Amino acid sequence: MRSIAKLIRRFAAILAVSTLLVLVLNFVILLVITLRVTPSGAPWTLARETVAALQKTGDRYVLPDSASAALQAENAWAIYIDNATMTVVWHTENLPPEIPMQYTVSDIAALTRGYLQDYPTTTGESEEGLLVVGFPKDRYWKHLYPLWDLDFIRNAPYIVLAVLAINVALIFLIYIIANTRLLKSVKPIADGIRMLPSGEDVYVKEKGLLSDLAADINHTSALLRTQQRELRKKESARANWITGVSHDIRTPLSMVMGYAGQLEESPDLPEADRKKAAVIRQQSVKMKNLVNDLNLASKLEYNMQPLHLEAVSPVSVARQCAADFINADLDGDYPLTWVCDEQAEAVRINGDRDLLHRAVQNLLSNAKVHNPDGCRVSVRVAADKSTCRIAVEDDGFGITDAQLHALQNTPHYMMSDGSTTEPRHGLGLLIVRQIVQAHGGAVAFSHGKNGGFCVEMSFPVVGTANA
Amino acid sequence: MAQKNIQRKKILLVDDEQALRDMVSSFLREGGFTNIQTAGTVKQALAAAKDWQPELMILDVMLPDGDGFSLFEKLRGFSEAPVLFLTARGEDADRLRGLGLGADDYMVKPFLPQELLLRVSNILRRYYKEEPATVELAGSTIDFARAEVIKDGERLPLTAKEYAILQALCRNAGRIVTIDGLCEAAWGDNPYGYENSLMAHIRRIREKIEKSPSKPVSLLTVKGLGYKLILK
Repeated sequence: MRSIAKLIRRFAAILAVSTLLVLVLNFVILLVITLRVTPSGAPWTLARETVAALQKTGDRYVLPDSASAALQAENAWAIYIDNATMTVVWHTENLPPEIPMQYTVSDIAALTRGYLQDYPTTTGESEEGLLVVGFPKDRYWKHLYPLWDLDFIRNAPYIVLAVLAINVALIFLIYIIANTRLLKSVKPIADGIRMLPSGEDVYVKEKGLLSDLAADINHTSALLRTQQRELRKKESARANWITGVSHDIRTPLSMVMGYAGQLEESPDLPEADRKKAAVIRQQSVKMKNLVNDLNLASKLEYNMQPLHLEAVSPVSVARQCAADFINADLDGDYPLTWVCDEQAEAVRINGDRDLLHRAVQNLLSNAKVHNPDGCRVSVRVAADKSTCRIAVEDDGFGITDAQLHALQNTPHYMMSDGSTTEPRHGLGLLIVRQIVQAHGGAVAFSHGKNGGFCVEMSFPVVGTANA
Repeated sequence: MAQKNIQRKKILLVDDEQALRDMVSSFLREGGFTNIQTAGTVKQALAAAKDWQPELMILDVMLPDGDGFSLFEKLRGFSEAPVLFLTARGEDADRLRGLGLGADDYMVKPFLPQELLLRVSNILRRYYKEEPATVELAGSTIDFARAEVIKDGERLPLTAKEYAILQALCRNAGRIVTIDGLCEAAWGDNPYGYENSLMAHIRRIREKIEKSPSKPVSLLTVKGLGYKLILK
């Protein structure tokens, strides 16, 4: 909805600016036209100037050439009516014959206000008479009753403003009504588009102005759903395939492992052969672990591993793993230090006990696998109100900065579509990462304080034992 | 004596693969078990179970004429003998289903012969109560049959909780049993929050079994993790 509000604001701003521009443009055009059509010698001015120029020499009136030229330029004629006699005492040469020579007061009033024999006229007074200028009949239109209410003229600026305001309001009203309807039909479409990436089922009613768009969105949504279903199908097919393979391989592997184990213990075999049997047994155990890891990793990756979530004490899980690790370390090559703060004892996380156990176990056996000559291992469990952290650290060979960087930043080959020729690391850490992610936690790899390798898993705390 | 009794128990092995049946039988024989019969199908298994009345059954889950889970339910109709599932199906769901039905153990293939023997012996011992009756410690003897500790000729009775804790430690003698594991043994399924009680019980057990309880040599603390019982 944010973008729609933005759209409305943008449209309103454009509308306001364009209204303003139209008004300014209108004023400019009006001004230009008015200036164009109003000649410098306006009709009334012409009459006033002519009467001022008219000179009396004895009984005769003479109009200087310059004033005559001005009249001729307008193609106008002129008469001068004497105040005393009300007769025409002077006129131009081009006086039309139908113009009378004698006038009454009412004639004067009529011609001043309006027309004389249909000729538009203007007048200019002097002390002795009245000069009348007549323009060609098609030259001017005279407003006969130019009388205005004084209040109206006084309030004219306000009235103009009010009219403008009403106009603007009307335009906005029309705009808002038109746009509301448009937005009404846009809103479901915008909502639909926003919902598309969520993977939910999207349906927009296909009616109104934008029904085409709605249909397109529905189509897209259907397409996305189909694709998701297909992808899911492929993923589960792949996971099932891996499950199937790992299942089928177990029985034959049982024989290899079982008989190799038996031969290894057999007193009838020479020492050298028993050692060979031991190697077969060890390698088949490796294969077994690999098959199990592969199966679990693929299930976790495709969310096909059911999580049996319950309130779990992380300390209890880590403690069991640590105890198992010590119990299995018969030669004492891997001394384990257990560090656990008091707060951690009480916290509970929402987790799958078996998977959490598996994660810690993987980290511990990693330390063993990568440090075949032995190393010190520490398991630390710490917690605050919101997070519980389980860290497994060793002081063994550790890894290089480049390896650490790769571990942190590149996806595991199993989940990557990139080159698979780079050195591969086992599935152990991948599974740890997957398990932690499935629990909504985070995992951090780093160098150990004493040069080894350190992995810290953190999980959200959901409660405490006393709560 | 106890081990001999267990090794005479009748074991029925059900698996569809002849080669696997042969191998497991040979392991069991080498482990001292002498009374073994095998079956390849649900039908054979049911017939053998009725006629022969085995005292332990090892079942595969996938059989040509049915699955091991339903076979198990049918067997339970007339036999109370303990059951160990031995299967290639390693999924949690399968394991939980098997144990949920009331199976005594669940083993996923592939497996090492020693592990199979250990699990079979454990089930039989647990089920037929052939736990070693007395355990020798450095400074005393535990008599599980009478729930007593014999120290310097004096008989000290064990409480129920002390008994359960000692039993759990004894079963894993020489190995660390976690605090949580011991609490579970003594207080059952929801063992959280009994750590302090456990410490009190351990102190009292030490007073009974150790020569000098402040310097224990049999019941050792592994700081933060749990306890370990050292046998003589």
